Amino acid sequence: FLGAGGGNDIQWCFSQVKGAVDDDVAEADIISTVEFNHSGELLATGDKGGRVVIFQQEQENKTQSHSRGEYNVYSTFQSHEPEFDYLKSLEIEEKINKIRWLPQKNAAQFLLSTNDKTIKLWKISERDKRPEGYNLKEEDGRYRDPTTVTTLRVSSSQSLKADFSSSSPSPWLWEKLPLHILNFFFDYETYLSADDLRINLWHLEITDRSFNIVDIKPANMEELTEVITAAEFHPHHCNVFVYSSSKGTIRLCDMRASALCDRHSKLFEEPEDPSNRSFFSEIISSISDVKFSHSGRYMMTRDYLSVKIWDLNMENRPVETYQVHEYLRSKLCSLYENDCIFDKFECCWNGSDRQVEFLIVMTGSYNNFFRMFDRNTKRDITLEASRENNKPRTVLKPRKVCASGKRKKDEISVDSLDFNKKILHTAWHPKENIIAVATTNNLYIFQDKMN
Amino acid sequence: MLGKGGKRKFDEHEDGLEGKVVSPTDGPSKVSYTLQRQTIFNISLMKLYNHRPLTEPSLQKTVLINNMLRRIQEELKQEGSLRPMFVAASQPADPLSDNFREAQPAFSHLASAPLLPADLVSTMPLESCLTPASLLEDDTFCTSPAVQHDDGAAKPPPPALQAVKDSFSSALDEIEELCPAPTSAEAVAAEPAASDPKAQPSEPDVHNKPEGLPEGRTAEPKLMDPLPGNFEITASTGFLTDLTLDDILFADIDTSMYDFDPCTSATGAASKMAPVSADELLKTLAPYSSQPVTPNQPFKMDLTELDHIMEVLVGS
Repeated sequence: FLGAGGGNDIQWCFSQVKGAVDDDVAEADIISTVEFNHSGELLATGDKGGRVVIFQQEQENKTQSHSRGEYNVYSTFQSHEPEFDYLKSLEIEEKINKIRWLPQKNAAQFLLSTNDKTIKLWKISERDKRPEGYNLKEEDGRYRDPTTVTTLRVSSSQSLKADFSSSSPSPWLWEKLPLHILNFFFDYETYLSADDLRINLWHLEITDRSFNIVDIKPANMEELTEVITAAEFHPHHCNVFVYSSSKGTIRLCDMRASALCDRHSKLFEEPEDPSNRSFFSEIISSISDVKFSHSGRYMMTRDYLSVKIWDLNMENRPVETYQVHEYLRSKLCSLYENDCIFDKFECCWNGSDRQVEFLIVMTGSYNNFFRMFDRNTKRDITLEASRENNKPRTVLKPRKVCASGKRKKDEISVDSLDFNKKILHTAWHPKENIIAVATTNNLYIFQDKMN
Repeated sequence: MLGKGGKRKFDEHEDGLEGKVVSPTDGPSKVSYTLQRQTIFNISLMKLYNHRPLTEPSLQKTVLINNMLRRIQEELKQEGSLRPMFVAASQPADPLSDNFREAQPAFSHLASAPLLPADLVSTMPLESCLTPASLLEDDTFCTSPAVQHDDGAAKPPPPALQAVKDSFSSALDEIEELCPAPTSAEAVAAEPAASDPKAQPSEPDVHNKPEGLPEGRTAEPKLMDPLPGNFEITASTGFLTDLTLDDILFADIDTSMYDFDPCTSATGAASKMAPVSADELLKTLAPYSSQPVTPNQPFKMDLTELDHIMEVLVGS
C-alpha cells in the first residue's frame, strides 16, 4: 500500500497539529469545514462556534529545505453568531457549514462562509506591517530564537463585505432550510447554494436575492422521500452542475437547457446489489459529498461505506468503487441507533498541479482514521491522525482494522473503534502533497516526506 | 442463569455465526428478521418522537427515518392481518446475550445504558425476543433473513448469495407459511436508545409512547406539539393512520395496569415507564420458549422471578 516505499508512493509524515490538547472537547471548537485557497498558501477552518481561523504557510526557508513551510495562524474572526428564530422557537446555529475561497484580488483575499441561514463574503487584508508580540513567540508561547525570525508575521483584518440572504418572503416552513452547500461557479462571480430542497444561483454583486435553479419540494410534503445532499459545478463547463441525493443518485444539469433545472440531463445511479440489501440500504446509499476531478471527466461520490468514481459518460454504474470501512456493514443497526449512520463524510482528490493526475482520493473514517486510494495502483492505505506516535518527519505508520477472526498485532478490532472520533473533513493542497485532516477539534497537517 | 457455562457452551456457535448467510427457507431466521424489523421500527419511532432539538432537526435525517418506517409499514401491510411473528423455535437465547456483551465495547457510549435485556436474559430462559439492536448486528442485517444457528458448526459455509429473489418477500412468505394464526402479543426488542442520553434508556419507553396513541387518536397530535415545525412531515405522512399501531405492536395487551399520560413531552419520567414495561414485557414473553410456538400457551412464571425482574427494572 501507499507508504511502503519505492516508486512514486507518497510517504506521509506528521507535520503539525492545531487545536486544544484536552480530551474534553468544547462544542464550539468542533471543526466543521476545512479549505485550502487556490494557491495553497492559506488554509481556512470553520468551527461550530461560528469562527473562521485562517492559517498561512510560511515561505520556505532556504536553510531548512527538508520541509515545506509550516502553517501558522494568520487570522481569526467570528464569522457568524447564533441567532434565535422566534417564529419557530429554534436556535439558528452559528456553525460554519462551508467556506469557499475566491481568487486573490490585489493584496486582499476573499472567502465566502455560510451557516445554516446566511452566506457572508469576507475580505481578508493585511494591515500595515508592524511587529507584534507574537511574532517573537512560537505558537505555544515560547520565545523564538531571534536568529530564526526571518519574516515578520503581520496581523490581518477581515471585514464583512456582504451578507447574502434571500429576502423573498414565504409562508413555507421550509423556506429557510439549512444551507449546507456552497460552491463556486467557473468565473467566480456566481456561486450556488443548496439546501435540502433547492439549489439557488447567486451573484456576488447581488446580495438580496438569488435565482432558483433546482426545486424538488413536492406540492405535498408528505410525498417527500428524497433530499438534496451535495452539489458542485463542473470545473470547466460553467453551465453544468451536479447534485446528489439521499437516495444515492446524482443528477447532472445544464443551465442552458432551461432556467429551472428540474429536469436532469443525466442521472447517475448504481443498481442495488441484492446480496447486500438490508433495512439500511437506502440510508447508506445517501451521498454525503460530490467532487469533480480536476479534468472534469470524472466525479467522485462518498456514501456511508464507500467512495465511487464515476465517468461522466457512464450513468449506470461507477467505474470504480473503494470500500472505506466495509467492516461496518454488519454494525449498521447500532450505527443507526447512535446516529453515526447519518455522519456526512467528505472526500477529496489530490492536488491538481500536475501534468498527469496522480489520481489519489482521500476520505475520513472513524477512530481518527483516514483513507487514501490510489486509482493507478489500486492500493489503499489507512492512516491515523493522533498526537501519539506522531513525530515530525517520521513516516506515518499504516493502520489496519481487523474485521473478524484473529486480530494480529497492531491491528485494531472493529469493536475497539471509537465512533466519537470521526474525520469528516479533509483537504488536499492544490499543488503540493500536503493534506489537512480535521479530527473533532484538532487540525492535523501532514506532508510528503521529501527526499 | 447465564453463567460461564452458558458462554462456554455457545462460544462455538458464535464462531460459526459470523458471516453466515441463511437461506430464506430457514425457520429460525424468520424470527431474527422480524425481530430486526421490529427493533428498527421502534428505534425509528424513538428517533422521531424522542428527539427534542434546540435547533431544527435535519430534514434529511427525518426523511430517511420516515422512509424506513414507511418501508416497514408496507411490509407489514403486505403481511395483511398477520402480525409479525416471533418464532423462537430452536433458537438458543444465550448466544444472543453473549453477542450483546461482546458488541458492547464497540460503542462505548452505549455502555452506560442499563443491561436490561441481558439481565432479563439471565433470569429467564425465554429471552430470545429481547434482542438489543447491537446484538442483532451480528445476525448480519445485510443478508436477510439472518443468522442460522447451527449446532456448533465449526466453519461457516461460504456465503451462498444466490438468493436472487428479494429476501424481504421471501421472508414474508416463510412467515406466512409458518404462522398462519396471529399470536396474542408481540415482543419488541429494542436496545436502550443510549444515543440520546436524555431519552429513555429502556425499551419499554418505545412500547408505551405509541401505545398511548391507540387509546386515543387525539393523542397523536399531542405528540407533535413540542416538536419543531419540521415534524409536520411526520405528522402527516399517514404511516400511523393507515395501520393502527395496535395491529402492529400491542394487540391484546392488558392496559388496565397502566397509568401514564400519552406522552406529551419528549422525555417521560423513567419511573412511570418501569412498572408498565415489566408487565408488558412479561406478557410479551409468554409465547416464547424453546419449543415451537403454540399460540396462547399459558404464561407461567414464579412470583420470585417476577419480583426479581421488577427490581431490575425499577432499579435501573
